[in-house]
Amino acid sequence: MRKFLLHYLLPRIAQYLTVIFIGITVTFIIPRLSPTDPVEAQVSMILSSGSAVDPEAIEHMRQALTEMYGLSGSPLEQYIAFWGRLLRGDLGPSLSTFPTPVTRLIGQALPWTLGLMLTAVILSWIIGNVLGALASYYPKSKLIYAIDLMSQAVRPIPYYVVALVLLVVFAYLIPIFPFSGAYPVGTRPSLTPSFVLIYLKHSALPALTLILVGFGGWFIGMKSLTSNIISEDYVVYAETTGIKERKILTQYVMRNAMLPQITGLGLSLGTVFSGALIMEVVFQYPGMGMLTLQAIFRNDYSLIMGIAIYSIIGVATSVFLMDLIYPLFDPRVRYQ
Amino acid sequence: MAILSVRDLRAYYRTEAYGISRTVHAVDGVSFDLHPDEIYGVAGESSCGKSTLIKVISGNVKPPLKAYSGSVEYDNGLQKVDMLTISPEEMRRNIRWKEISYVMQGSMSVLNPVRKIIKTFEDIVESHRGIQDKKVFREQVEAHINRLGLPTDVLNAYPHQLSGGMRQRVAIALATMFQPRLIIADEPTTALDVVVQRGVLQMLKEIQAESKNTVLLVTHDMAVHANVADRVMIMYAGRIVEEAPTKTIFKSPLHPYTKHLISSLPMIGVRTTKTSLRGSPPNLANPPSGCRFHPRCPLAMEVCRTEIPEMVDVESRHRVACHLVKGGAL
Repeated sequence: MRKFLLHYLLPRIAQYLTVIFIGITVTFIIPRLSPTDPVEAQVSMILSSGSAVDPEAIEHMRQALTEMYGLSGSPLEQYIAFWGRLLRGDLGPSLSTFPTPVTRLIGQALPWTLGLMLTAVILSWIIGNVLGALASYYPKSKLIYAIDLMSQAVRPIPYYVVALVLLVVFAYLIPIFPFSGAYPVGTRPSLTPSFVLIYLKHSALPALTLILVGFGGWFIGMKSLTSNIISEDYVVYAETTGIKERKILTQYVMRNAMLPQITGLGLSLGTVFSGALIMEVVFQYPGMGMLTLQAIFRNDYSLIMGIAIYSIIGVATSVFLMDLIYPLFDPRVRYQ
Repeated sequence: MAILSVRDLRAYYRTEAYGISRTVHAVDGVSFDLHPDEIYGVAGESSCGKSTLIKVISGNVKPPLKAYSGSVEYDNGLQKVDMLTISPEEMRRNIRWKEISYVMQGSMSVLNPVRKIIKTFEDIVESHRGIQDKKVFREQVEAHINRLGLPTDVLNAYPHQLSGGMRQRVAIALATMFQPRLIIADEPTTALDVVVQRGVLQMLKEIQAESKNTVLLVTHDMAVHANVADRVMIMYAGRIVEEAPTKTIFKSPLHPYTKHLISSLPMIGVRTTKTSLRGSPPNLANPPSGCRFHPRCPLAMEVCRTEIPEMVDVESRHRVACHLVKGGAL
């Protein structure tokens, strides 16, 4: 156990913290290299609205804004203050919807994105891997061949096109699913059964789009991984010993073939935090993608930085968690 | 009474690529019998068809390998089974591991890397007999491996935590779990150093002496045959060239190929230079006509080029396929 802590856990925690530190530092530096001054931009925006303000008030405002954006003092002082605020969970106010804190905006969008994306990523991972393994293990099955063809046909299509096709078919021609949003205008999100049902209905098409487009990659990956594994000695041997086919497929073939896929899942779980931008636009889904789009259109620096920081922490955390649980799947990486 | 009889077995690899088909005559007209309570050795250099023969006998025929003619009949005293036509499921349920088990070539990698050793035992026993009580099952397995001289901790280890010799012993322990009538051991000691080799061979021999089953031992290592086998069959280019009790074959080999094989063995005190055979084993996609050994045979005659030599019984248990023997020249 001590060995595990020292040789496995500690290096990975160190790596995790380093990745986050570097990522956030870069997020701090990049906006400061930009030629536009957010304070001046804000001031001139207020001035251009036409209201007559006396110069003293403008100077006050300038100072207040500089303070608020964390732009006062030398770059090093700014950097230290930036970390201080960050550790207190303060990402500053949003510029476009002043003075709502960035954390609140993200907090409102994140659950919608997480609910949808986590489900879609995990489902497409499971479907892709199971079907991929079956396709390789039973190469003669016609059904799996048909699924193979379909996944190859759907995969190169941009997913907004898939989304639009699904919308036309299942919301317009056969109106069983709503067109857009995560819930109808006028309802308040709550955890009542009726609302959950409404939510599920609204997110069915976005989720279906993501799964249709997403599982093909896992499918191809698993298919080729499996085709390598089935000629491994331990699989041929297991067949010779007369172990039941189902057991060979699950415990011998799939258990070994899915090891690289687990790492892949960790990486794609991390990207969940940034949302699926175009999909959210097509479906008018109030998630992180939409929020990012608004932030970019409105030049909302602090919001963009906030989203970037969430995304960095998200990717790093999910890779870290995958690293921690990976030894459960592959005993050979323990204590190394 | 033979436990396994192979008659005129022909098994070829047929591949087709870009319209060109290629047939490798890996096993071409092989006949032999395995008797209860014996260790039968199969010898021959690489690519002589040993492993293909094993694949057919153990029911691991997968394309491009196909058995084209002949028969492999397994007889356990109660029923006769045609191993070439039996359905895969019947084979799995009745023959595999219960009757015929297999110590595979490259046993180092036959254990599932992500499963503990005990789990492999569990998978096999569960698939054949079912496990009612896990505790009783564990005790049985522990007793079994202790009897073979393996420590109990092996069961809780993963394959990568065991040494090569240990893994080989585990493979033998797995193969003897159900006391099968026939154990096929394909190069069981090839990847091991001589000390470990000795231990593994000892183990095989003891198991055989105790449970009186048949062991089909395939290896290119003539020294192993000299130590372990009761009878030895020599294969060359997909055919049997000679078969005899071990003592006879080492004392008075008849076929020129066998002679070379045996004279190549190092012996303490003998300081002669070993002559090596000219040429290399034939390409089995296009084997030589007549006797397949003739291009390399120092004693080849005209008839060797054209006619396939028939198998002749020299003594009751010694047979050889060579024109020289038939013609009385040897």
